[in-house]
This record gives sequence, C-alpha cells and structure tokens, in this order.
Amino acid sequence: MPHRPFSFRLNGRERSLEAPAERVLLDLLREDLGLVGTKRGCDLGTCGCCTVLLDGRPTLSCLTLAHEVAGRHVQTIEAVAPTTGLSRVQSAFVEHGATQCGFCTPGFVLTATALLRDHPHPTREQVVAAISGNLCRCTGYTKIIEAILAAAEGP
Amino acid sequence: MTAARRTVAPPTRLLGGRIPYIEAPLKVTGRAEYTDDLKRPGMLLARLLRSPYAHARIRSLDVAAARSMPGVHAVLTGDRYPTPFGVLPITHDETALAVGKVRYLGDIVAAVAADDELSADRALRAIRVDYEPLAEHVDPRVGLQRVDEPIHARGLNGSNVQKEVAQHFGDVDAALARARAQVHLRATFAGVTHAFTEPQVTIAEATPDGRLTVWSATQVPHYLHRALSEVLGWPLHRIRVIKPEVGGGFGGKSDPLPHEIVCAALAIETGRPVKLLFDREEVFLTNHGRHPVQNEVTIAADAEGRISAFDIQALIEGGAWSSFGTVTTYYNGVLSMGPYRVPNFRYHGRRVYTNRPPNGAMRAHGGTNLRYTVELAMDLLAEQLGVDPIDLRRRNALAPHSTTVNQFRITSTSFKQCLDAVESRSGWREKFRRLPYGRGIGLGAGFYISGSNSPIHFSPRMPQSTVHLKVDMDGGIAVHSMQADIGQGSSTLLAAIVAEVLGVDLERVHVVRVDSDVSPIDIGSYSSRVTFMMGNAARQAAEHLVEQLLHAAGELTGYPEDELVVAHERYQVGHRPEIGVSFLEALHKAIERSGALVATGAYTGPPMGGTFKGSRAGTSPAYSFAAYIAEVEVDVETGLFDVEKVWAAFDCGRPLNRLAVEGQIEGSIHMALGQFLGETMSYRGPRLMNPSLLEYKIPTPQQMPEVEVLLVGEDDPEGPFGAKEAGEGPLVATMPAVANALYDAVGVRFTDLPVTPDKVLKGIDARRSAGAGWKGTR
Amino acid sequence: MHLDPFELHRPRSVDELFRLSERLGPEGFDLLSGGTDLLPNYKMHLNVRPHLVALWDIAELQGHQEGRLGAMARLADLEADPDLRHAYPAVHEAASLVATPLVRASATVGGNLLVETRCFFFNQSLPWRESLGYCLKADGDRCHVVPQRERCYATFSGDLAPALAVVDAEVELAGPRGRRRTPVLNLYDTGGDGIRRHHLAPGEVVVAVHLPEATRGLASTYAKLRVRPSFDFPELGVAALLALHDGRIQRLRLAIGGLETHPRRFDELTDPLEGELWSAERAVTLAEEVRKAVRPVHNTFLPPDYRKRMTAVFVRRALTTLAERGAAASA
Repeated sequence: MPHRPFSFRLNGRERSLEAPAERVLLDLLREDLGLVGTKRGCDLGTCGCCTVLLDGRPTLSCLTLAHEVAGRHVQTIEAVAPTTGLSRVQSAFVEHGATQCGFCTPGFVLTATALLRDHPHPTREQVVAAISGNLCRCTGYTKIIEAILAAAEGP
Repeated sequence: MTAARRTVAPPTRLLGGRIPYIEAPLKVTGRAEYTDDLKRPGMLLARLLRSPYAHARIRSLDVAAARSMPGVHAVLTGDRYPTPFGVLPITHDETALAVGKVRYLGDIVAAVAADDELSADRALRAIRVDYEPLAEHVDPRVGLQRVDEPIHARGLNGSNVQKEVAQHFGDVDAALARARAQVHLRATFAGVTHAFTEPQVTIAEATPDGRLTVWSATQVPHYLHRALSEVLGWPLHRIRVIKPEVGGGFGGKSDPLPHEIVCAALAIETGRPVKLLFDREEVFLTNHGRHPVQNEVTIAADAEGRISAFDIQALIEGGAWSSFGTVTTYYNGVLSMGPYRVPNFRYHGRRVYTNRPPNGAMRAHGGTNLRYTVELAMDLLAEQLGVDPIDLRRRNALAPHSTTVNQFRITSTSFKQCLDAVESRSGWREKFRRLPYGRGIGLGAGFYISGSNSPIHFSPRMPQSTVHLKVDMDGGIAVHSMQADIGQGSSTLLAAIVAEVLGVDLERVHVVRVDSDVSPIDIGSYSSRVTFMMGNAARQAAEHLVEQLLHAAGELTGYPEDELVVAHERYQVGHRPEIGVSFLEALHKAIERSGALVATGAYTGPPMGGTFKGSRAGTSPAYSFAAYIAEVEVDVETGLFDVEKVWAAFDCGRPLNRLAVEGQIEGSIHMALGQFLGETMSYRGPRLMNPSLLEYKIPTPQQMPEVEVLLVGEDDPEGPFGAKEAGEGPLVATMPAVANALYDAVGVRFTDLPVTPDKVLKGIDARRSAGAGWKGTR
Repeated sequence: MHLDPFELHRPRSVDELFRLSERLGPEGFDLLSGGTDLLPNYKMHLNVRPHLVALWDIAELQGHQEGRLGAMARLADLEADPDLRHAYPAVHEAASLVATPLVRASATVGGNLLVETRCFFFNQSLPWRESLGYCLKADGDRCHVVPQRERCYATFSGDLAPALAVVDAEVELAGPRGRRRTPVLNLYDTGGDGIRRHHLAPGEVVVAVHLPEATRGLASTYAKLRVRPSFDFPELGVAALLALHDGRIQRLRLAIGGLETHPRRFDELTDPLEGELWSAERAVTLAEEVRKAVRPVHNTFLPPDYRKRMTAVFVRRALTTLAERGAAASA
C-alpha cells in the first residue's frame, strides 16, 4: 500500500511523515523514529508497556494507527524529563524503588504524569484505578503506588 | 596484614540502607537499553515456523519455495545444527530446531531470516512440511508406564519418565508406626509461567574477523555462551555474549533457549545481523514455567507435636524437554523439610515428559508447590493436636548450625524470630479462629536456598562468581562481572559493596554492561545466588583494591598502613583522624607504582553435602527462612475473596539494600498470589488455551494486599556482610498463608490450584452438605 | 506483530461514508472507531478485510451531550462525566468497568455495542487456529465449543448494551435509505446462527445512543463478574433498573451480557410485576427465574455452571441494592 503523508505534533515539535495505513503508532515510534523508550510488551493492548500520551491522555500506541494521530499531539517517555534532571514523577520512581526490570516503567511514568496533572492530590484508590491498565510483573505495584503518592504535591 | 582485618564492620555507610537502583534514572526516562531497542546496520528479521502438531514425525520438509521468495535471505531447518543441548549437562535433549520429530504444539520446525517481518511470514507460509501424527501424551500418570512412541528415547524403560528420585533417610515406616498424630494431604497444581513484560529477543551478528556477537535477553549469559559454542561448533573465545537490560526473567530466561541458537545460526548463514523477537504467544509457548504437580504429603508427629517423619510423593509434569527437570525432581523432595527438623524422611518423585510446552525453573523453583502442601498439612497437624499453628512450627524449627537428615548444612536461621514477629504484628492471638465466618487469618512458612552450591558447568572448586575492578587516574571504578541484573538490583548491590569497602561515593562506581569479552564469569541470576556469591566476590575484590590504596596512603602519611582506616572518600590514621589523604591522593600515588589499579575477587562455595546419589541437590551455603501471615475476607455467596493484608517476616540475614529486599518481597507476594488466584497454563489436551496477557490472569493493583515487611534476620556467618538471598524465598510462604487463612475463614482446605471463585464456592458447598458447620455456621 | 496491508478511508460525513460503503461492498470493509477490539483481531488475522473506514472525522458521531452519546464518544469521557453518573448510573458504571483505563481512552460507545463476540477458539492467532482446523466464526466450518456446524456460540462481551437496555436507550442508525431509531437490544440478531449478529441494513451505521428522559435519575446499576477487577471481559454482566413508588414497582428492567451470544432483557419476567408491591422475595424469585433462563457455554475463563449460578446472585444483589437505594431516597 502506498505511504501517505500526515503531520502531527511529537513531543512538542511538528512532524511531517509518511506511513502506510496499517502502520501502528508503536511501530512508527520505535522502528521509524527510533523512540525506543516506548516498549512492546504484548502488541495487543493488554500490558500498557506501549503507553504514550495522546492529546495528554494515556493511550495504547500498539492499538492506535499512525494516521489516527494526524493533527494531534503525541508525547512519549523521551519528553517527560526536563532538559536536565528528572521530572517529579521520575524522581519519585527512582527514590522509592518503583522500577525493577524497568520494562513497564515508561508506561507507568506516563500514566502517573497524566494522573497528577489532572488530580494533583489523588487518593490511593485513584492511583490504583489509574494504573490498573499497566501491568507490572516485578514490584507488586506497591512501590509504584508509593512513588506516585509521594510525587503528588503537598500532603 | 590481612584484608579480613579491615573488613567493614557494621554500622555500614551504604549497606543496610535504602539504595535506589543505579540504573533507575535510565529506566524512568526510557533510556535503558533492552535488546529490542538495538539496531544493527543491515539487520534482518527472523521468524519461526512452529509445529501445528503436539507429537508428530517430520516425514519431509520442503523449504525450496520459501528460500527463493523475495526478501528472504536464509531458511534454516533442524538438520543443519542437530547437536543436542540443554541447561543441565546430563540431560541434553533439546535441539535448536526440531530434528525428525516435533514434541509440542509450537515446537520450532524452521526459521526464516528476511528483510522484514512480512516477507519472513510469507516465507514461513511457503514451507511445506509433511507430518506423520503420533499419539499425543498429555497425562503424566499414563506416561509412567511403557507407552507406544515415547516422547524421548531417553525415557526410563520405554516410558515418558524423564527422572525418578527415590530417597529415604532414617526409618519412615517405623516413625509412622510410632506416631501419635499423622496427617495426610494431596494437592494438585496447574502450571504457571513467568510472564515477564519483555518478550524474549535475541540479536546476532557474525563478523568477517571470524567472531560472533550475540545480544540476548538472558538471565544466564554464561550458559547461553556455552550452548552457542556446543551447538554451533564455535569455540567459546570466538563468541561474544552481551546482556543488555533485561525486562524480567523469574527463571524464564535462565535456560539457553533454542531461538537464541537459531538467531545466531541465521546470522552465520546470512553474514548479516539478525534479530529474532517473540510475539506474546511465543513467550507463552516457550514457557519453562513452574511445573504442574500432584503431590502427597504425610507428616507424623509425637504427642508433643514434634515431627517424626515426612513421607512425600510428587508427580511432576515436565512438558516436552528436560530443561532443569532433574533438579526440579530433587527439589520437590529435599526442599520440603526446612524450616523444620525432620528426623526421618522419604521421598519419591517422578518427572514425566508430556507433549506440552516445556516446564522449567520459575522463581522459588521446586520449593513452592511442595511447600504449599506441607504448610497446609502442618496446619492440619496443629488442628489434630490442638496446638496453635505458630507454636507447632516453633517446636519444630531447625536449630542454627545444625545438619539435616539429608546432610544439608544449616548455618544461620532466624525462623523463630520470623514467627515471633508475625505473631505479634498481626494480632494473631486475638484473631485466629475468632474472626467471624468469612474472615480468616493464616500462617505459612518459607525456606529456600541462597544459591545452588552445584553450579551446572563447574567442578565445585572453580569459582561461581568472579568480579574485576579497574580504577584509573579519573577516580572512577569500573566493575566487571557477568552477574545478570534482570531488575532485582544486583548491579546496584555490586556497586554498593565496592563503594562501601573503598569508602567512596556510589557515583564513582560504574557497573559495566555484561559482555563476555570483558566480564569475568559469574553464572548468572538463578537459584537466588547472586547476593551471596557475587556479593562475596565483590567484597573480596574491593578489599584487594583497598589494600593497594591504604599502602599508598601509608606512604603519603608516613604512618604504618595497618594504623590506617577507611573513611568517607578518605584514608586516615585510626587514632588521629585529622591525618589522612583523600581517595584520589591515595589512588594517584598507587598508580605511580603500578599504573591503573586492578583487583579480582572470587567466590567458591565450600564443600558440603553427603555422598549418596543426588546428595548435592539443594545444598547451599546458606538458607533463607520466612513466616507470613495473611488475612482474607471471603464473599461466601460468590466465592470471590480479597487478600487484605500480608505480614511478611523474612530472614535474609542482614538486608543490604532494604529498598530492594522489600521490592523482592512485595513482588514475590504478587507473583505467588497470581498462582493462587487465577494464573494457569490452561490446556485442553496438548493445546494451550490462554497464550495471552488477557487470559493469563496476572493480578492487577486492586488485587494486591497491603504488605508489612518485617526483616528480622541475624547476620549469616558466610554471607557478604551477613546477607543471604531475598529473591525467591519470599515467594513460598505466600500461598500457604492465604490458603490457611481461607480455611480459617470458611473451614475448607483448598488443594486444587488456582483457587478460582467457582472452586471456593464448591468447597463451601461440600462442607455445608456434609453438615459440617464452621465458626458458628451450620 | 503486524497488520496486513489495508486501505484506510476517512469519510467526513455519513453521506460520504454511504458512498464509500456502496463502492466497497458489504464484505469489503470494516468500520474502525477506537480500534481496541478490531485491531487486536486484525493482528490475529481474524476476518480481515481489505479496507478500513475510520469514523474519526465524522463530526456528528463524536462526543456526548445530555441524553445523547455519540457513537464515537470515548468510554473514558463517559466515565469522567458526573452528570451521566447521576442521571444514568448503570450506563456510567458499565462504561467505567470496561477493560482498563488505557482501553477506555480509545474505546467508543459504538464499538462497545458492536464489539466482536469472543471465544477461546476464536480469539487466537492464525497458527493456533490453523492447528485446529479453524472454526465456524473464522475461516472454518465447525464449532469447537458445542461441536456442530450450524451455530456459533461465541459470547457477547460488551458491557454497555445491558446497561443501556435497562434505561430504555435507543440507538440511532443512519443508512443510505434514511435514519431510524430503535431500542438498543433490537440491534442484536437473537435468532440467527451467532455469526450474523446484528440487524443492520447494508451500509447502516450507529450514529448515537439516546438516553430517554423517562429513565433519567432512576436507580440503576451494573455489576460485572470477572476474575480481575480490570482488564477482563465480563464473565457475566447484570444491569438492573428499579423505580418504586409507595413501595410498588413503577418500572423494573433486567438485562444480562457476557453469558450468551447476545445481550438479553427479561421483560417477560419483569413487565407483569409493574404495579405490584416490592419485597425482598421478589428479588430472590426473579433472580432464580433469570438463572433458569440463561445458557452459558464453556468458552470463557470461568466455568458455565458457576456463571449461571452467579447470575442469580448478581441479579438478586443488584435488585436488593436498588430497592434499598430507592427506599433510602423516598425516606
């Protein structure tokens, strides 16, 4: 099938690309653009490792066609940290031991970042609900939840 | 002067605290490099043709059409590299691709390397295979006898039995005859799998200098290295194995796996870099997970509740290959006794091949299902004797510095302290058998090896771990070791031990990526061995290095070096701390003499174990102990239940990184709960029905209980700084604690895992229809 | 995993969509909304078609306002809407319980209504299905759940349909021959072979769901049985609506999903009760009658006898909760 052009915002910058209709966003990011921080865990929407923010909302890039993001804003894990150092969520993940193997971590960091943007002071239940689409096989989620609560502003 | 004199004594500066993982900043930013993140110029993609039959002879295999398809660079079949291999040297029964016969639905029949996935998949569909279907063997009970067309020629006496173990210590029959109390329990366990988030992936590249480089998601780079060498026929020194970050293993990446060899073979055939990445279904089919088991436990005791005998049987379903199965068959017996003193012990275990995906080593390998049945039987025994389950376990606790009936050398144990801790923290005395119907509390105990003392490829006197250090003028310390961090924090511990001994800041220490060209051999992440063995090797290496630095500091200060002590980034006179030199001053002085400093440390396990057949299985330089209490609430009308809280007391000796130890305990509880609540390799006949993360039910955060971690271990005499393992032992007490809590809640012992709500309800029904009330119900 | 090549179309109006669908033919394309159901199936090469017609750019399908849920309204937006929660609790609960937050970010109202039925023998990879000779629902001619060659027993696994059914929602359909509105459950072909599952005319699409004024604010609920509190499709979904007046039943609706090939409402059991006095026994009796009426088969994770038994428990509990809520509200 022919490659078709489309434009979108990627991590704050306008990008014009070509991709065949069947290209999914995950492949576009990883294979075409080298943004390999977005992970491929199951390819079927059942693990959350491929989470990106689409117009600010955590979204499964493995089930999103590349062309669907035309005119929209995609943020990947590569754009979460400030120029130097780490974001609040990222620092909390480091300090609280919320990463083990780290393969699910980019998805959790993005999900947590969006949660705290919308709910700066979430309850534990809100945190649990928010991350309930991201699978972690290492941590039992305990330290992830602690990290997100710690990253929330104030008491 | 000996290094031991300057050994760091507690209090320590870093160790024992909460040390964030050194690679975590890379992981939270997406910058950590996993195998699938790597790209090599001109890289091809490989895909595998898998068998649609569970058991069949390959009459013919025609790959001519596939070979000539556009975009296809190579097609590989089993005849090209038929040398058998396997993780254990005594059971080489796997081949890189099927040779003559397929043994499970999903067995690898052919491989294609092509420009892209689409071309590879097209080529796979063009391969013609003529199969002669054979009788499928899926019931291990049937496989015990002679069968037509056994799965492997090496099955015992024409059966599908891969391994049989019969052990008897003391006199079990006499003990049973004398016993005042005796309990018997049978249980059945479905297979479960690791389900790490990162699918298996390998990249291989053969270069014109006659070398082969393999990047792979592996827990044991060294065993992969050996298997590649054996099957490909290349000497080890021409093969370079690199381990990038690994997205979880839990035992599933500890066997050398066929696809890793296939990928390397394709790279050799094509002269191009080749990547082979699994889809999630392939991860499930590759399995090597926890064995499905049916086990039986008889425990005999005297009137005071002192255990007089264990009599144990296990029927273990192996799947298509041996994998770690011989070890599994031993472990299902020998790991049953600890944490208890058992004077008479008998075990009969059999592992039987079936035409299903192979089972292998999974976290707390061999010590999980068996422990479940033993711990339920212990509760039953307590009930029969009218003794509190905690008291019963106290009475039978293994003594420190004792020897078991099968010659395990027990050194440190804080099992009784574990029992004390959970008893008081959980409010056990007020709750046990006193909570309302539907609510319950239960205890489980744990015991596990802190590293197998029988490394697979070594005579026992060769080191199980070696660590190299290099320090140059820049003041950075490079640490080389083939230890495989798969997320458990071993690189962090390695760096922290070196920094602790040298007295320097952690950020000076760089743990170099595992690369067989430069990393000295450590045999990787399995059998919960890394903290103990690598930790000791790292400590020794750092002590050798600090000797050189103190010598230089002595020259600079004019004080005898045995009067110098290690301080923070500084070496100073013990009784005159104002006199001293900085780490860099000492380093630069030392370099004047020798150039960049290097040091080596190694760990070799002490001789141990009996002299009988199989005596080394389960021997370990130390053992971990645990006591967990779980509290549950059951919806007695639906069978759905919540595990609300787990009090987890664990004896890992001295915890060196509390953050990591807690993480291992919390993660272990989660994984064990998965097996209890609903994870199952669900088969109909030979066919896996749920090869997906949607239908394989890993618990969600809503299902995770609150966990209170209680670290009560005392220093182990041989562990690095007193430490023992905390990676696998924390799993085993979880399931029995929950099961015993369910019994306390509804009066039913669940012996068919997983315990899905339909089974809970059936159990409650059965108890009611038997007219047996429980805690006020009728 | 890759998607086989297809051509992607993005009509900007339903009229453009009709022209496209006429040109492509009924078997030539699939509609694509959120993609969370279709794309996994396409990755597994399940009934793949050469054209995908995306509904992303058709303005009238987007979003939701009071009483009208666009076919392309995202479930996450329904979940985040407090007005919906108060006005139509069952619909809000059902939307909030679908899969995971990540799926709900993309998944749509129309997509959940028309979600593909599920089965252990269908939702598998191509090699998996090939090894068994395929099945009636895709590429084959035999059912492996209930062995025969006539009927597919794959399970309807949408959460929204039963909830929408108890609030008497109507679905608005647009086709080349005009528009129509029909009760939600009329979408589903209950008498067929399980393969053809909808009463949709050629080219017809779901435009929106309309929530009637008559049920606004009435007590309703949706309960979902599954092994895990997220991710899992329903093993059973029970929706109920109960309005009481002076202790008498003013309006009573019961619907189920996750058990059979289509969602079902039990008007034959509930209609005769209107005007009757409510009592706790009614909940028990009704629950038992619903249980007797349902016929789950063994193609989901939990065994069918358990799911059938749970039907009674879930129905009774839903009704009891609603009756208590109603009593509390009128007190």
